[in-house]
Amino acid sequence: MATTKSKFLKEWNTLHKNGPFPLKILYQTKLEGERAMPKKLDRYNDAAKEIQRLIKETHVAGDGFRAYGSAWSMNNIASHKDRMHYNGFMNISLPINASDCHANSNYDSSNLFLFECGTTIKEVSEILAENGKSLKTSGASNGQTLAGCISTGVHGSALDVGSVQDYVVGLNLIIGSNDDDIVYIERDSKPVLSNEFVNKLNARIIRDDDLFHAAMVGLGGFGFIHGIVIEAEPIFLLKRYVKKISKTTAYELAETMDFENASFTIPEETNSNGKGNRPYHYKIFINQYSNDPDCVVELMYKKPYVEPYPDPFPVIKESLYRDLIFLFVKLAENLPKSIPWLVKRLRNTILPKVDDQTTGMLKEIFWDAPYQGPAFACSFGIDHKDGPKAMELLGKLTRDEGPIPGIFAMRFVKQSQGTIAFTKFPITCMLEIDGVLWKETRKIMSLKKFSKRMIEVLKENNIPFTLHWGKNSDWAFPELVEHMYGDHANKWIAQRKSLLSEDMYELFSNKFLKTTGLAP
Amino acid sequence: MKPFKYLSIAIFCCILTSCYSVRFRNVNGAPQPDPFSDRDDYYRGMAVVEFDTVISIKVSSEDFTYLIKEKEACESGKLNIIEYRNTFGGVLLSAITFGRKRKVKVKYVCEKPTN
Repeated sequence: MATTKSKFLKEWNTLHKNGPFPLKILYQTKLEGERAMPKKLDRYNDAAKEIQRLIKETHVAGDGFRAYGSAWSMNNIASHKDRMHYNGFMNISLPINASDCHANSNYDSSNLFLFECGTTIKEVSEILAENGKSLKTSGASNGQTLAGCISTGVHGSALDVGSVQDYVVGLNLIIGSNDDDIVYIERDSKPVLSNEFVNKLNARIIRDDDLFHAAMVGLGGFGFIHGIVIEAEPIFLLKRYVKKISKTTAYELAETMDFENASFTIPEETNSNGKGNRPYHYKIFINQYSNDPDCVVELMYKKPYVEPYPDPFPVIKESLYRDLIFLFVKLAENLPKSIPWLVKRLRNTILPKVDDQTTGMLKEIFWDAPYQGPAFACSFGIDHKDGPKAMELLGKLTRDEGPIPGIFAMRFVKQSQGTIAFTKFPITCMLEIDGVLWKETRKIMSLKKFSKRMIEVLKENNIPFTLHWGKNSDWAFPELVEHMYGDHANKWIAQRKSLLSEDMYELFSNKFLKTTGLAP
Repeated sequence: MKPFKYLSIAIFCCILTSCYSVRFRNVNGAPQPDPFSDRDDYYRGMAVVEFDTVISIKVSSEDFTYLIKEKEACESGKLNIIEYRNTFGGVLLSAITFGRKRKVKVKYVCEKPTN
């Protein structure tokens, strides 16, 4: 039997210390050992029973329940004041065979894999690489769990690919403690798994496009995500370039996404007519405190996998001295005017090295990001055509009403089918400011106030936007979700209600959903 | 007074330069997590095993091997990260005892078990 350890606590915090948030009980489930239960499917189904037992226990106590993985989200989306479940040890992986696929499936079965919720992006990537496969994209690092990624819409900067949830093709959810409360949801228009295989998961099959799209970015509200079926692709290499180009050119590319006719090209990345190739990834770094007319950009081009290729890892990886970061925060809080000077001094640590070239698999390029102390990140989704204008507005706000201890970046992501995916524009520019977490003083406004001002500025300038679900913001801003998603928010709520019983709807609702108005 | 001041500065410099950590980390594999841990350092969220001890070895022994075994904080019995710390006290102890007593200050994190 899978076993659960529980601990009574008063509070819980995220990895980047964006809390603390209240909590009563923290659960941690470990699977039965392979020696006692050799078959993976048996261990998987055994774990499902254990989760159902915990849900029942929570329900009987009149409490709420929320699962979480690596705690990378920077707000309270992963928290619940009553009971939380750490699922990091639930990391079974199963390749899907052709015989497990639905008769109408158009997927290449060799690209399909079922991963249990707590498998991290790093673990998923390693398992796929052993099979000659790769994820289509990931976030900027690899520590998040797969379930955490899709619940909050984690993205990279793959402009023609999308976010992590966009290659999910099936979801196995636990929505209660009854026998028929284990469900498997996939698109009706694109079936993946055969009924026989789903029966092996003891799951009830629901083939419904609208429900699937709502649950794709479910914010942890659609029950306990137990298993995720993804579509991988044959392994590939990414060639990464870091260049310094004029801000005007960088913005022009952001607006047009026309790399073929751009004035900026990388000689090695042009076609036979000398025109620029379309990159897999494009990212712009903007130090809003600098008057430099140039900025640093990062571009990656997809290449076939060939061995050998240069080792993408340095032998020694240095990280910034923690006390220096602490000193930075203290200076920022008490002498905010020193922030632009500090950012300039730290530019070599914050920004990638210009003219750097690296080649590696996706999992090597987006490798570990070690914990470096409390951090914040605010991230807006904006139509890429509005990206430069929004950048200038938010940069000005940060200079005029700040300064704030962080710098901006722009990444670009293809549209998602998720009902309330924040990558809702044809190509979404994710305009983000990342930095060290500070405390409000008489001299520097709070993160919440800064977040509120950014929302106000975008609204005043009629720039449609969304917000990254896993990052900092003023989530209580009036009618924020309606403004961002309109009727899609109501559709998401309706799908959630259609899936869950009344009791389970409440059990899987947390403060984040209530604050944003997505749950009563 | 002056010689004492210079001696103090020299000793302080020795202590500072002989106190350092070296960390090794696997490129592959994930570190074993510990959601109940509240560490606030490099190892935040990880199951860390620490030992800080003095090992006595025979004059005839050249070195010693510490065995990493499977236990709750190291379910896989395989290493993912290891860090050793050298201190002035440790160097001094080894020198005074001609290497028979060695201070060992190590932190390690095992691989997260796979399924």
